[in-house]
Order: sequence, then structure tokens, then C-alpha cells
Amino acid sequence: MGEYRTQMKIIGDILSTTRDDLQDENGATVTYLIRKANISHSRISTLLKTLVSQGLLEQADSQGSNRYKISQSGREFLQAYNSFTKFADNFGLNI
Amino acid sequence: MEFLLENILNLVGFLVGLAIGLMSYIGFRNTGSPTLFRLTIAFVSISLGFFVIWSGYMVEDFIIKSGSIERWIQTVGIVIQTVGYFFIAFSHSIKSFFPKSNYFRSVGILPFFLVSTVQLEHIFRSVSFILLVYGAIETMLSYRDNKNKGAISVALGLGLLAFGEFLGWYSFVFPESILYTISMTIKIAGLIALFIPVSKVPLKKIKFDDDLDKI
Repeated sequence: MGEYRTQMKIIGDILSTTRDDLQDENGATVTYLIRKANISHSRISTLLKTLVSQGLLEQADSQGSNRYKISQSGREFLQAYNSFTKFADNFGLNI
Repeated sequence: MEFLLENILNLVGFLVGLAIGLMSYIGFRNTGSPTLFRLTIAFVSISLGFFVIWSGYMVEDFIIKSGSIERWIQTVGIVIQTVGYFFIAFSHSIKSFFPKSNYFRSVGILPFFLVSTVQLEHIFRSVSFILLVYGAIETMLSYRDNKNKGAISVALGLGLLAFGEFLGWYSFVFPESILYTISMTIKIAGLIALFIPVSKVPLKKIKFDDDLDKI
């Protein structure tokens, strides 16, 4: 049975992938993110829309498909997320 | 000696609680995490509880000078701290803390109208003890999953606070004994153990960003 992930953890996984594990410099495709973040298409679509609208991800149209790259705000959010994940870990909690 | 230790404990408790509460709040503002929101409420409550008791001692020491703190101030401080301990335990998913039946809910409130502030203090001390033990066990169990050494320190801190709370509660049987002083010392050690791993979390480059709290 897989480990339960909170919405925050899934967002962290998506942002980490777009920061550290890109296919190429154009960004990651939805299919690639679905595979890397292990999430359904319907759920990732909603999350990607939210992340783009919040300015954490940048969306680009490349070779006929949408590609996603992390923005500066996204990097700052991810840094805060990683720090506070450690903080919550100390209390045995997930953020 | 007891008076001095009580003052130190409450001041340390206020500062440690405030520091962890502020860090939790910064985390909540940056990530919007409900867990960090609950930790914020928990540690701000704990801090406020210690502050109320500390203020009571200060007022007694410099203004009233009767030789002992007003009992109701101590009770109010302990009640506020218990709220904080509840939120720590609640973060570990206490889902059945309150009875579902309306009858039991009403019966559960009844004792508060029947007991004096002295008895209330003992009730809340024992509730704090249970919540702290629960939090310590859950935090210790989490170490099995994440192998984070900080969790051991936090579990130890919560455990020491629980033991200190127990000794503090038990000392009413032997009012003039050394038990109460030991209880204060253990609680101060518990607060320090709680703060050590939290102080190591790197927060240097983190800043507030209002747009992020909508996530």
C-alpha cells in the first residue's frame, strides 16, 4: 500500500521535479510530471492551474504542448516548504 | 528557591513557546499548511499560559507581596497551556477526543460548575499530562518512519514536560517537599529539549509572501 501524501506534499513533489529533474530547458510536460509526481491527470491539471495562477510555475507553449518550469516565487516556496517539512518532522508531523 | 524556579520556568516557557509559535506562524504564512497553523495555536497558547503565570508571580513579587500567587491566575495559565497541549495532540489526529453523544457532552461540562479553582487546576494538570504523554508517544513513533533525530529530542521534551506536570500535580500530596522544585527543573529541561531541534531549522532566507498563503 502506498504512502498517503498530503496536497502540500504533492505540490512539493511537482515543484521539486520542475526544479531538479527537468527533461530539457523548455520545461516539463504534463505527462512527465504525472509520471514523476505519481498523480492522476485530472488532479494534476487542477494543481497546475493553481500553481500557475499563484505564480509558482511558469507555463510555456513549446512544440505544440504545454510545458512547465518553476518560477522564482516557486523556488522560494519550495525552499520554505523544505525547511518547514524538517520543522514539522521534528514534531512527528507532515505539513 | 521554589519561587525563583517557578519564575525561571515560566519565563523560559513563555520565550520557548513564543519562539516555536513564531516559527510555526512564519511556516504557515509561507506554505499555508494547516499543520503549521495548529502548531502556531498550540505554541502561542503554551507561551501565553506561561506568560499569565509569570505575570502573576511578578505582580505578587512587586505589588501584592502576600507570599503566594493568586490561585485563579495559576489556574487560568494552566488552562491556556492545556489548550496548547491539546492542539499538539490534535495535530497527531486525535479524532475521538470529544464524545459524540450530546448527553455525554453535557455531562462532560458539568464538573466545571461543581469544582473549585484548586480542583480545576488538578483536573487541567492531569489533562495536560495525558495530552503530553500522547504527543510524546506519537512523536517517538514517528521516528520509526522518518528517522529524524530531532523527533527524539521533541519526544523527550514532551515526555519531560509530562513527567514534570505529573510531579507538580502529585506534589499537592506533599506540599512542602522537594517534589515541586524537581517538577519545575524537569519542566525547564523539557522546554529546552523541545527547542534544541527546532532552533536548527534553517530559516535565514525565508520571507513572507502574501500571495503564497492562498495555496
